[in-house]
Amino acid sequence: MNLLDIRNLSIELETPTGRILAVDHVSLSMKEGEVRGLVGESGSGKSLLAQAIIGVLEDKWHVHADRFHWRGIDLLRLSIEERKALLCKDIAMIFQEPMSCLVPTTTIGAQLSEALDNKQFTGYFWQKTKQRKEAVIKLLHKVGIKKHDVCINSYPHQLTEAICQRVMIAIALAGQPILLIADEPTAAMESTNQGQIFRLLASLNQLKNMSILSISHDLENITHWTNTITVMYSGQFVEAGTTQQIFTKPMHPYTRALVDSSPQANLQIPVKSRLMTLPGSIPILKHLPIGCRLGPRCPRAQQACVIAPKVNNFHGHKVSCHFPLKKEPLRTEPSRKEALNKCDTEQVVSKEIF
Amino acid sequence: MTVLLEIKNIAKSFKLKGHWLHKKTFCALCPLSFALEAKKTLAIVGEAGSGKSTLAKLLVGAECPSTGQIFLNGQLLQYKRFKQRSQHIRMIFQDSGTTLNPSLTIEELLDEPLSLNTDLNEPQRKKLIRTTLQKVGMLGDHMNFYPHMFSGGQKQRISLARAIILQPQVIILDEALASLDPSLRSQMINLLLDLQQQMGLAYILISHNLGIVRHFSDDVLVLSKGEVVERGNTAEIMKNPQHKVTKKLMMSQNFQLKNK
Repeated sequence: MNLLDIRNLSIELETPTGRILAVDHVSLSMKEGEVRGLVGESGSGKSLLAQAIIGVLEDKWHVHADRFHWRGIDLLRLSIEERKALLCKDIAMIFQEPMSCLVPTTTIGAQLSEALDNKQFTGYFWQKTKQRKEAVIKLLHKVGIKKHDVCINSYPHQLTEAICQRVMIAIALAGQPILLIADEPTAAMESTNQGQIFRLLASLNQLKNMSILSISHDLENITHWTNTITVMYSGQFVEAGTTQQIFTKPMHPYTRALVDSSPQANLQIPVKSRLMTLPGSIPILKHLPIGCRLGPRCPRAQQACVIAPKVNNFHGHKVSCHFPLKKEPLRTEPSRKEALNKCDTEQVVSKEIF
Repeated sequence: MTVLLEIKNIAKSFKLKGHWLHKKTFCALCPLSFALEAKKTLAIVGEAGSGKSTLAKLLVGAECPSTGQIFLNGQLLQYKRFKQRSQHIRMIFQDSGTTLNPSLTIEELLDEPLSLNTDLNEPQRKKLIRTTLQKVGMLGDHMNFYPHMFSGGQKQRISLARAIILQPQVIILDEALASLDPSLRSQMINLLLDLQQQMGLAYILISHNLGIVRHFSDDVLVLSKGEVVERGNTAEIMKNPQHKVTKKLMMSQNFQLKNK
């Protein structure tokens, strides 16, 4: 049974000139214990989608879905209060920029104990204060903060960004969620701290069997620890599959460009060569192209692309494209090897000259 | 190949508060020397507080070095002689959105360095602005626009145009690629590489993304707490790092590299 099953979710923005379709029929499903990456560049609607799942969008956004199931319960049939009660218990979210999401005028300890539910504690009411304090310390230990005394009594601005991010994770873990939505948990962080946060989340996934939806704008950041990846572009679903599939045989031209353009994920690119890119830039919300929104930038675009493509499923590898790259990987693999060999020989030559 | 930029024993230390007999100093950058040739890229990597940005500030002339000299084409660059330095060494900052003056049009923005540093008259300056904008892949008519009308990638191109308009020899990229989206970042890398070939620019790249460093740079300098811990050819250092700090940096990003 799927943990989360969303079909054709659309989010519309109400503007003075009419409604704009910001997220256009996106499907997302998650199994229990799965780590899924949600990748998209800025303006792809990935954060909107996450906010729509936990229901914290403002009134000007309108959300529609064909199907929205949470552990077999149809959330669309429930009232808003019932839905909130259900989701608050099971889903937690880590927001971007931890510094600005923590309350600046309250100590970390007070914020953490506020997040703890009274029902978790057993015993008489006079024992609960002590239990609460112990639970706060335990949570801090769990996210890898050893100096709990200092941390509890300090305000967010006194701590570094990485510690604040850990506190955010601790607050999210306080309710013992089943699904954790991490919205760019390592944005603007040092690479060594990034590794720590990712290791922490990965260990939580393995020890607690907690599912994680990790949102990132960069494909290379999240590849090492996700099982499956969903790629979005400008509010449309692009491709979904296992990390292996996405990386070795991307079927959508956009995913292909993302993989090829990243020198970090792709070691085969010769040094100082031109990277493969798509021309143009990401369309803004006011001027979205009709049909497939990648159309004006896509190297394979044809006349059929003015109609939005349907999702095709190739053995669990879902692609939304009229002309997917199906046979490409077979042809390109030897050429990539050649490129690597060529690159090696070039380096040898340059060594000899110097 | 002749040496373009040569740094000799440059160091920077700051005075800390202390007793007047026991003055304390904090060494942000220990004595360091290197040389850079035209059409080459030197990458500087390191953790936060390792002195990378201090080095950039010293090179561009925003701070006065405590000791050491900077030579450009064999000529000594003196602190506060901006006319000499600002024509040849230019810098691009991390956040292009906040480094462009929002109340000036692109033409006025790009006109400032020209009117301060060159003796060109107005039509000549206008013509140069137009050709520079075309060089970075924008339209000449964009010069009547204001910065807020552009997207992030275009703003970064304008900062690049501002950097190359004086035909410099060295450009310092201080995390200039970090905040861009991946597809725009690779466009920018392509553009920088093209300009390097066309104009013979030398780059000093300050970055924490080792993938870009590996792709973009010829030599690398690893800094830690103001000291150079490792230096040499990028490919060799990436292949077998020697020092602990380099290994740690590689490790923290290695998971992405190993995946393939």
